[in-house]
Amino acid sequence: MTALLEIRDLHASVGDKPILKGIDLTINTGEVHAIMGPNGSGKSTMSYVLAGRDGYEVTGGDILMNGESLLEMEPDERARAGMFLAFQYPVELPGVGGMSFLRAAVNALRIEAGEEEIDQLGFVKIVREKAKLLGISDDMLKRAVNVGFSGGEKKRYEILQMALLEPTMAVLDETDSGLDVDALRIVSEGVNLLRDPGRAMLVITHYQRLLNHIVPDYVHILADGRIRKSGGKELALEVEESGYAGVDDAA
Amino acid sequence: MPELMMQPDLSAVTASGGVRGAALARWQKSGWPGPRAEAWRYTSLARLSDVDLAPATSLAGGLTGPGALAAAGINAHVIRFENGVVDPAGMSGLPGTVSVATLDGDEPAMAQLADLAPAGHPVSDLSLAVMNGGIVMDVAGAVETPVMLMFEGDDAGASAHPAILVRLAPGASIQIAEWHQSAVGLAAPLIGYDIAAGARLEQVKVQAEGAATTHLAATGVALGEGASIAGFSLSTGGALARLETHVAMQGEGADCQLSAIYMGRGAQHQDITTYMDHAVANCTSNQIIRGVLDDSARGVYQGRVHVAPDAQKTDGQQMSRALLLSRKAEADAKPELEIYADDVVCAHGATVGELDATQLFYLTSRGIPFETARAMLIEAFLIDTIETIENELLAGLLRPVAEAWLAGKETL
Repeated sequence: MTALLEIRDLHASVGDKPILKGIDLTINTGEVHAIMGPNGSGKSTMSYVLAGRDGYEVTGGDILMNGESLLEMEPDERARAGMFLAFQYPVELPGVGGMSFLRAAVNALRIEAGEEEIDQLGFVKIVREKAKLLGISDDMLKRAVNVGFSGGEKKRYEILQMALLEPTMAVLDETDSGLDVDALRIVSEGVNLLRDPGRAMLVITHYQRLLNHIVPDYVHILADGRIRKSGGKELALEVEESGYAGVDDAA
Repeated sequence: MPELMMQPDLSAVTASGGVRGAALARWQKSGWPGPRAEAWRYTSLARLSDVDLAPATSLAGGLTGPGALAAAGINAHVIRFENGVVDPAGMSGLPGTVSVATLDGDEPAMAQLADLAPAGHPVSDLSLAVMNGGIVMDVAGAVETPVMLMFEGDDAGASAHPAILVRLAPGASIQIAEWHQSAVGLAAPLIGYDIAAGARLEQVKVQAEGAATTHLAATGVALGEGASIAGFSLSTGGALARLETHVAMQGEGADCQLSAIYMGRGAQHQDITTYMDHAVANCTSNQIIRGVLDDSARGVYQGRVHVAPDAQKTDGQQMSRALLLSRKAEADAKPELEIYADDVVCAHGATVGELDATQLFYLTSRGIPFETARAMLIEAFLIDTIETIENELLAGLLRPVAEAWLAGKETL
């Protein structure tokens, strides 16, 4: 069986500074993996490298999705191949209407698949249904993308995009940051609804608390650009008790 | 003649005295501005030196082109100029309290236009001197039907010199659209708007001239007590375009909203130049300027605000932002505040920037192709400016022109 995502000895730099120093990770369809790590360990760099952001340069190794290298693909090509990144800091787009943004994204996928573009009325209906599950109001949908949204609203809006784009590989970068307990619950429920045998997720987080809500199959501890330890969900609890230093020492 | 470049064929000009004769004399003395003229520092007219253009004298075709569709879309009454020559068909069947007469020969009207015209601008003198006909439009009351002034023509060897005086009587109101889409060598419209006390003009201008055309517009506006203008220009066409507007606020409580978008690609040169003269107290002027420049296009915004010593409680605002889509594109902004009164609120700001890389990444990370993402962000950059146009009908004229440019189309 071909792995959905296979990261092989990945090295990456930002500017001249090496951040990722040899990551190996294999994720199969249907699995939920968590990557935990202290600040500066390379968590966010890893999410941007997967999505293909400019300025995050891969200096060695490879990333394969469904057996094909992502390295030569632009961010939009990766997205249409099934990669999705839920941003830690969703970007405000003043002047870009929410609905036309969502529709442009869905239509890009449909065009790639050789399907007809979605009609406006049908699309509004689908968006409203999915938005309702995430507690996103019609008013929010009408606004410019992320403009005037609270921290929690921005994160819910990320999950709404994920629900509409139905990626095969979803990377959630610190989706819990800036969320209060209630918002965390709503976002986690939204994510759990999207758990699917045909989809894998990589949940990147600093804290264990998110993993109480989105329970992973595997947990990896990232420190100084390498995966120091891998295990089951109990590894997250270990971090909670002894901190990253303890885990790192044990590695 | 100093600084001699392109000269019209003066033998075809019938100006022999009066206002036109005086204008011709001024033109012959000053000619085109040279490289050291401060007002033309960023915009060189050297390209006119090699061309041999003559003012057109006759009409050829009929109403055609995208402008006609646009006019039909807003049910406008059209007054058409071809190669600068007025088509008399548009001078009858006028809506409401609008009347139109020939400008040439009406000495008081021509003198009024000469007064309104931007002082020292070459087109102010040249187009008055060599105009073929020209019109004076009087608006006596509130007019519902918009009037479109349409400037067409396909004579690349012609210079077009339409001269137009529009007078709004006290309390009158009208919507006027200027549609400039020709392939003439030089388009040099001279237009004066005299807006009397309490009158209101809602005006838009589309400049979508052909790729080889030089568009030099001289527009003068006078505002009486409590009069207002809400004007908006969209400049996308021409090889070189300069839209220069001078506004004289002569009556207290006058309000001038005058915004513009310019868009350039290839080697296009786009210039928006404005002069706000706050001559009396309690007037407001507000300008939002947006520019989008690709390839090696160049954009210029010169905005001068003059506040006279007695013009207390003046509120004058200018904000210009340019977006560069290419490393070779260039934008210059020259705001000038000349304030001689002490109790005023005046501000200007100018920024030049690129598309935000983080915003582009966010859009493309959702699968949206780069070019589409780029167009979405450019549109977003322009949209709030177009949204300041209160008149939906007129705003609707501009959106397709901007969208056609964004889609990279040569014509609409």
